[in-house]
Amino acid sequence: MSDYNQQMIEQFRGNFLKEVESNVEEGEWVKMCMQCGVCSGSCPFGPHWAHPPQEIFMMIREGEREQVLTSDSMWMCTSCYNCIVRCPRGLPITHIMHGLATYAKRLGLAPKEQPTAKFAQLFWDNLTKTGRVNELKLGLALYFMNGFSEGIKTSLKMKDIGLGMWKTKRLNPMEMVGGHSCKDTKGLQAILAKAQEIEDAKIGRSGA
Amino acid sequence: MSEAKIGAYICKGCGLGDRLDTSQLVTIAEREGKAAIAREHDFLCSEAGVQMIRDDIANEGVNRVVIAACSRRAKTDAFDFDGVCINRTNLREGVIWVRPDTDEDRETTQEMAADYVRMGCAEIKHMNPPTPNEKTDASSRILVVGGGISGMTAALEAARAGYPVTLVEKSGQLGGVAAELVKRVPERAPYADPEDTGVAALAAEIEANELIEVCLNSTLARTSGAPGCFSADIATESGTTRTENFGAIIQASGFKPYDASQLPELGYGKTPDVVDQMGLEALVRAAGDGPVKRPSDGKEVERVLFVQCAGQRSQKEGHLPYCSGHCCLTSIKQAMYFKDRNRDIDTEILYTDLRTPGAPGEDFYRSGQQKGITFVKGVVEDVASSGNGAKVKYKDIILDETIERDVDLVVLATGMVPNSGVDIEAVSAPNVEGAEDDAGDNGGDSVEIPVESILNLTYRQGKDIPQLKYGFTDSHFICFPYESRRTGIYATGPVRRPMDMMSAIEDATGAALKAIQAVENAKLGRAAHPRSGDLSFPSFRKEGCTQCKRCTVECPFGAIDEDEQRYPQFNESRCRRCGTCMGACPVRVISFENYSVDTVGQQIKNVDIPDEFDEKPRILVLACENDAYPALDMAAQSGQQYSQWARVIPVRCLGSVNTIWVTDALNSGYDGVVLMGCQKGENYQCHFVKGSEMAHYRMSKIDDTLSQLNLEKERVATYEVAITDIERAPGLINEMAETIDKIGMSPFKF
Amino acid sequence: MSEVIATNQTILVVGGGIAGMTAALEAAECGKQVILVEKNPSVGGRVGQLYKYFPKLCHPKCGLEINLRRMKANRNLRLLTMTEVTAVTGEAGNYQVSLRTQPRYVTENCTACGECARAVEAEFDNEHNFGLGKRKGAYLPYSLAYPMRYVLDPRIIGTDDATRAKEACKYDAIDLDMQPQETQITVGAIIWATGWRPYDAARIQPYGYDRFANVITSVEFERMADPHGPTGGKLLRPSDGKEAKNVAFIQCAGSRDRNHLKHCSRICCMATLKQTTYLRDKYGDDFKASVYYIDIRAIDRIDDFYQKVRADENVSFIKSKVASITEDRETGNPVLNGVDTEGYHRYSNPHDLVVLAIGMEPSVPAGEFPVDVVLNEEGFVQQDEANGAFFAAGCSSDALDVNRAVQNATASALRAIQVVNRVAGTEV
Repeated sequence: MSDYNQQMIEQFRGNFLKEVESNVEEGEWVKMCMQCGVCSGSCPFGPHWAHPPQEIFMMIREGEREQVLTSDSMWMCTSCYNCIVRCPRGLPITHIMHGLATYAKRLGLAPKEQPTAKFAQLFWDNLTKTGRVNELKLGLALYFMNGFSEGIKTSLKMKDIGLGMWKTKRLNPMEMVGGHSCKDTKGLQAILAKAQEIEDAKIGRSGA
Repeated sequence: MSEAKIGAYICKGCGLGDRLDTSQLVTIAEREGKAAIAREHDFLCSEAGVQMIRDDIANEGVNRVVIAACSRRAKTDAFDFDGVCINRTNLREGVIWVRPDTDEDRETTQEMAADYVRMGCAEIKHMNPPTPNEKTDASSRILVVGGGISGMTAALEAARAGYPVTLVEKSGQLGGVAAELVKRVPERAPYADPEDTGVAALAAEIEANELIEVCLNSTLARTSGAPGCFSADIATESGTTRTENFGAIIQASGFKPYDASQLPELGYGKTPDVVDQMGLEALVRAAGDGPVKRPSDGKEVERVLFVQCAGQRSQKEGHLPYCSGHCCLTSIKQAMYFKDRNRDIDTEILYTDLRTPGAPGEDFYRSGQQKGITFVKGVVEDVASSGNGAKVKYKDIILDETIERDVDLVVLATGMVPNSGVDIEAVSAPNVEGAEDDAGDNGGDSVEIPVESILNLTYRQGKDIPQLKYGFTDSHFICFPYESRRTGIYATGPVRRPMDMMSAIEDATGAALKAIQAVENAKLGRAAHPRSGDLSFPSFRKEGCTQCKRCTVECPFGAIDEDEQRYPQFNESRCRRCGTCMGACPVRVISFENYSVDTVGQQIKNVDIPDEFDEKPRILVLACENDAYPALDMAAQSGQQYSQWARVIPVRCLGSVNTIWVTDALNSGYDGVVLMGCQKGENYQCHFVKGSEMAHYRMSKIDDTLSQLNLEKERVATYEVAITDIERAPGLINEMAETIDKIGMSPFKF
Repeated sequence: MSEVIATNQTILVVGGGIAGMTAALEAAECGKQVILVEKNPSVGGRVGQLYKYFPKLCHPKCGLEINLRRMKANRNLRLLTMTEVTAVTGEAGNYQVSLRTQPRYVTENCTACGECARAVEAEFDNEHNFGLGKRKGAYLPYSLAYPMRYVLDPRIIGTDDATRAKEACKYDAIDLDMQPQETQITVGAIIWATGWRPYDAARIQPYGYDRFANVITSVEFERMADPHGPTGGKLLRPSDGKEAKNVAFIQCAGSRDRNHLKHCSRICCMATLKQTTYLRDKYGDDFKASVYYIDIRAIDRIDDFYQKVRADENVSFIKSKVASITEDRETGNPVLNGVDTEGYHRYSNPHDLVVLAIGMEPSVPAGEFPVDVVLNEEGFVQQDEANGAFFAAGCSSDALDVNRAVQNATASALRAIQVVNRVAGTEV
């Protein structure tokens, strides 16, 4: 467990709700849940969640920190926004889920082998390199996410689709080499670096 | 009163002229009904028709008007004449609409109509226009018992309408329970924060109001009389007593908090750190602007748990079976005491159903959440304590887990117990057969009561107003929340029903109106609800009375006392004019000017009873005018039919039915009798509370009479009929017709 | 219409539902002059559409009958139906009010004999039954309608039906040339009892009220249960007329919801509990009721009714706000999808019929009041000195049940009396 995690445990001394309110994006909304369950029922991925959103909110209130943050539930969210639309209290549930996921990752508590989490990282790494998503590389990285032989198998399985996309000019094999990028890649990197700096400072503050 | 002069008016409109031989009806009204004037008219409710009647009243001295047309429920505004008695002989809804329009039915339809005309004339012959018993000297002063929020509000609101008020409060200060509160649940938008209780402002306004007299440290030692002329002995703690007259009484005696020591399972008594809601108010008051400290060791409270429905909504022995209505909001308010001091204090509310109704309730709930109060659907399993604070184990119903919490303070949301005085129905019923004690003072001959009376009424039926359920003195009627069973005495606030302060204020304002209304009615000699405005009044023939006390016992409103010689003492403005006393009287000495044993008995007698071989039975239907009679009317309106043998007489309440009517009917050759009253029992719908029940009880004894007469007991049937029984009510009449078909005609036709 | 006489000691009551009737009667029975205006052809309001009251399960028509009798007997009370307030000026103790009366096309000559209805052919949706079933173009609004006078639907005016109705009337009670009438009156105080209306269920999109025949509202179910309603008291599925024995009740349909009505409508829980008893009444043990709820709000003394229904083994309670309703095409069964929050069980439950316990919203929306009034966010009238002698009664003040509406109306009557007594300088 990270120092940061230890720091947070000490700082909030079991008041997980308060921790969430301070450290999680839109976390101050958690207290407004009235336990109707419409979010959980509305989620198209609902059956795959260990803890649907409403349960997570209740667990936060009951201080079940470890269980919430190590759970892969928040990572299941596909941002369909059904829950937000239906929530009678107007909770930004999707955002809270992402906020919790980010927070868990920052604390080093996010599940290691969670495919959504992995994909998110791949996507981020891919995107930030050139400022454009390189779909070919992203796709291949995804295929090889779980090892080389698995990657070959998946690639072969998908080859017809790949060819089809190439024919219809939806995929350019030349992307393998370099690929397209935004106008000012350096500028973008600088922006991201600055954002990281601000974020780190924020964590530093709340950790102080 | 000048001599009765009957004018009978037969309408030919709405098909009556086509279906009936109205000229024959005119003849019957003249010859048999002894009408001085009998006329038919094409359209009686038209301006011309009404004018014709008016002219006869003005020029011919007609003072008894029989209108043989539609139901008494129709065209009331057209047939509205001052100073005369009116009978509405129902030929439309009561005859032609319930009978088929065929040649073969024409004869019996005509017979039905003819009988109703006979009955109408017979009734009106025995009716007198009631003379209003005006009480110009009636007191307008209103007595308010209880100086809490409800009582203070009632006093002030009545005074604002110009009525003088005397407010009697047992304790040494105004404010009641509310005075012990730090703040109250908000009553104004945006319903976000606790508000000042308003007690001080109310008390100041009362003090400044010249119309209000406040008697602190005072109770009622004795209350007698009736609306417009109540007399109350106000006793002070110091021992002085003075007597004053009042027009009406508002009982705002409030509630006591439930005794939390009955809840050891929730930790009460194990540690001083488990308190009830009133206990918390005291702690917060003691804290002033500073932090709230726990009672055991004075440590600042950092974690507090509120337990809803403590000893409430539970069938367990000693618990309250009801919800007190205010506690969810109160706990939110109390949690805010902490949150508003320090947002870092943990406040958790454990509930099963959070009850924060309406816009104010839901807004306040949301505001509580906004402030960081945590709400958990859960049930306490155990509260342990080693002296300081408590360890609470509860089941989180949502997570389906048992959770343990160490808290500094537990607040139990216990309920309200009404201060309703003596439960007069639980006290053994006074002996009807004649007790030795002074009959005017009921207190003397009843068992000893551990509860202190609030009103100390001298009423024959008991010292306080009857309770409805769980000790609350609520009205039983959804539509008429203030209808207590003691005319001119209105219960308000939590003594009537569990309620929060906002409701109590509304409730008390309404009660003040009812008190004012009672005063105004008493001045004019008018009845109160449900026969509002009725000027008739029961009187009795003393020489015939056997002092049997049935009337005084059975009056649903406790309106009749007994004098020294145990004769009934009618209190006119307490009377609701239902006639239950008239129905109860075995010697038939009680009557109203316009409703008596004769007005109905003569209708029964004047029905033409064909002899046995005509095979034309007669069924007497006595129908409650409030529900059964309208049901029959609406049945007619919707095309239902019923037996041509039925003769329906509306009665004020089935409780007013004297068994003599039934025995007379059977003796004179009726083949069946059907009685229709309202639902009785726990969910009674009888507008006069016990009338229908009394009638059913009396009719259960009719079998003896039937067997004496050698008649089958199926010939008399008593039913509970609702106003919506549009199909069932005619069906019941038809059933009786079938029964008669089966068992044969009565042998008593002469 | 004969002349309306009113002074600044007169109390105007707007709305003839249970609250308005009560306020008007209570004031009139205190000896005050009262004018009661009602927009519809008959008084009675929502109460007239109820089959039974909770928790007593008695019939609202019973109390209505008593109130009508009180009205008929009271000469202090003047009723104007089909009338609305169009403008109010002035101040407490002296308001000038403009009234507009729509033509009824039927005069006081009407005897309610019903010949006009028999003569007319055109039929329209029956608004008393929320559009379930039809009524004629000449009609009596319902069995207990008061004034007990027929009314012609304006849509038949100018058609042959109108002529047929006129010719059928033997009492010259039909006047096809009747025009809207404007009346100006002066009053001392105004009691605003315009009541509530059911929230528009179609706006709760996931429930498909507008798409699925077998999703209905609680007010419609109430009409169905009434033996004098559109189905003669049978609880039938609109899609195929089959008896509905497995019925779901969805609480907070529109209430406690920022997307719809922010407030709790208070009555819906008790109304649902009551409606489960209709199922038992009709089917004995052969029914199933499922109540999907967030909190059951059976407040105060009447919680015992909830306890009684809870003890009924055929009634189950699921703590869940239903997420969505789909339809099984084959059976027409609505399927409820969601999560039972007590232990997190997902469900997809088919039912014969779904009843949405629909929320109440104020009949008159903010911005449509004839005078400046202080409202709360939810659109209910606040008790506020700035309102002068304009007092809300019943559901225009909050979501209330009948009992509380009557209580509140009685209080409002006193507030109005205080004003007119002050005007009169009455010394009692």
